[in-house]
Amino acid sequence: MKTRTLFAHYGRQFGTLAGLLGLCLVLWILTPHFLTVSNLLNVAQQTSINAIIAVGLTFVIISGGIDLSVGSLVAFSGVVLASLLQRGLPFPIALAGSLGVGLLAGLVNGLLITLGRLPPFIATLGMMSVARGGALLFTDGRPISGFSDSFRWLATGEIFFVPIPVVLMLLVYALAHFVLRRTKFGRYAFAIGGNEEAALLSGVRVRLYKTLVYGTGGLLSALAAAVLTARLNSAQPIAGINYELDAIAATVIGGTSLMGGQGSVVGTLIGALIMGVLRNGLNLLGVSSFIQQVVIGAVIILAVLMDTAFKRQKK
Amino acid sequence: MKRLLSFRCWFALAAGLIVLTGCNRGEKSGQAPGASATGRKPTVALVVKTLNNPFFIEMQRGAADEAAKLGLELIVQAADREVDVERQMQIIENLIERKVSVLCITPSGSREIVPVIVKANKAGIPVLIIDTRADEKALADAGGKIATFIGSDNYDGGKLAGAFLAEKLGGKGNVVVLEGIPGHETGDARLQGFKESISAFPGIRIVASQPANWERDQGFNVFQNILQAHPEVNALFACSDLMALGAAEAIAAAGKTGKIMVVGFDAQPEARQAIAKGTMVATVAQFPAKMGSIAIENAHRVLAGNSIPAFTPVPIELIK
Repeated sequence: MKTRTLFAHYGRQFGTLAGLLGLCLVLWILTPHFLTVSNLLNVAQQTSINAIIAVGLTFVIISGGIDLSVGSLVAFSGVVLASLLQRGLPFPIALAGSLGVGLLAGLVNGLLITLGRLPPFIATLGMMSVARGGALLFTDGRPISGFSDSFRWLATGEIFFVPIPVVLMLLVYALAHFVLRRTKFGRYAFAIGGNEEAALLSGVRVRLYKTLVYGTGGLLSALAAAVLTARLNSAQPIAGINYELDAIAATVIGGTSLMGGQGSVVGTLIGALIMGVLRNGLNLLGVSSFIQQVVIGAVIILAVLMDTAFKRQKK
Repeated sequence: MKRLLSFRCWFALAAGLIVLTGCNRGEKSGQAPGASATGRKPTVALVVKTLNNPFFIEMQRGAADEAAKLGLELIVQAADREVDVERQMQIIENLIERKVSVLCITPSGSREIVPVIVKANKAGIPVLIIDTRADEKALADAGGKIATFIGSDNYDGGKLAGAFLAEKLGGKGNVVVLEGIPGHETGDARLQGFKESISAFPGIRIVASQPANWERDQGFNVFQNILQAHPEVNALFACSDLMALGAAEAIAAAGKTGKIMVVGFDAQPEARQAIAKGTMVATVAQFPAKMGSIAIENAHRVLAGNSIPAFTPVPIELIK
């Protein structure tokens, strides 16, 4: 039984990976501009923001929840970061401040869900609006822009030709993979998502770990916000609209089950890359933006359809 | 077993990409920037804010007609949502990778567009800005360059609307303003122009000025709310027709059609019909199709190595 589910799980990941490589192959044949070093780095960089947010969502979804507030938290922690920077605080302190704000908002989500017993959908839907409104109030609706080069290094810098956002993304994924697979926190997230009752009865402090899961979501949104702000050299209170949906899509394409208890960040990374490559490729081919939306939607449906078909077969 | 598989998964991804990139790397080197890859017709890219707004559809039409005439290949792309500056940046980065010959852009954010203009500069691709200016100071600070700006003077458009309303009101009355997204150069300029005109008439009071984010349904809701607080309103200036049309619906719902004068901006076909029906009194016409065709014409001249003016004004006109 156990090996069978394992196979089902990793079989799925190979499927996603094959999908990504197949997509790359098709684009390589169709356009000479796709498979170049600079374009692949370009795709990786464009994917990094969604990919970082999606890690948080993967944790949340594995634990059996959902987080709709991440897009608004990107905006909120982004404008907090920008205003701290504009007040002349050094970049590491401003960054720590905004990461703290993101974490705090995420923890509030968690507390509403655990102590307040709100369904995650409702709690984070509320936070989505509160954080968006907060960002707009905080800035009077206007973007805050113009930062020092030392801060913008977060988006423009490179380590051995690899852009910093990509380095950050890989670090986050390596760490998240380790946390999910090797630490108590990660294993408990799976346990809670698999069967909350059983986890509780086996002595897992469900409330604590659930709250921490949402805190992680908020923290990673704030990190993504820092990259976004550096990239645009501007923090907008209307930034990040619909980012929660992109992150959910990457997670689901990557094979994480919306029912909880099952999933991996490696899958999510591949899922995020599929979305990034698809958008990049369709731009390179000059495909109409309307068709792009149809294609992306179709890919999401196809991925999950294959998923359920696969599972049915296994049973 | 588990770890092995997951490592293999990573390895396959990395190896696959490295091998494939390696193969392709040689071919690409030494290509002149801006030159089309296979010696076909030069490609001009037009990146607008969104393609679900009639204004930009018109612009696309004008550009497509001109490109066909001049024998240029035209790619038109846009983000799904007008406010999505990051997505617009991604699209432009991808077009730079595609090595298009010229980029024509209507920025979704005047400052947010600057980093990607700098990227295009580095790739040697000329950038033409249309309709919404790139922030001049931010551009200068970043060391970016644009070939030209093609657009209407939104400030003058706002003044035109203000002068017309002031005259219609006979120099006194209560006016409401619906703004675009705060921080958008186009909306801000229209607003300033409008206020400048109105300020000459001490009898005219602006009782409320609220953003409705360029959207029709928000125009409806925001104006409906304002009506609750200020039933004494005589006139409305909306910084775009979509918001004006939304507000006109709210006025109709309140049974006040004809009692509140509505002036919009953009002269979209629906707004012209509304003026004919009497639900709106005027709109400021811009000529997006003309902007599109002038942009392509200028792109053509840049490609031929000819110089172009730094600013090409596109006329505005009051439709009443």
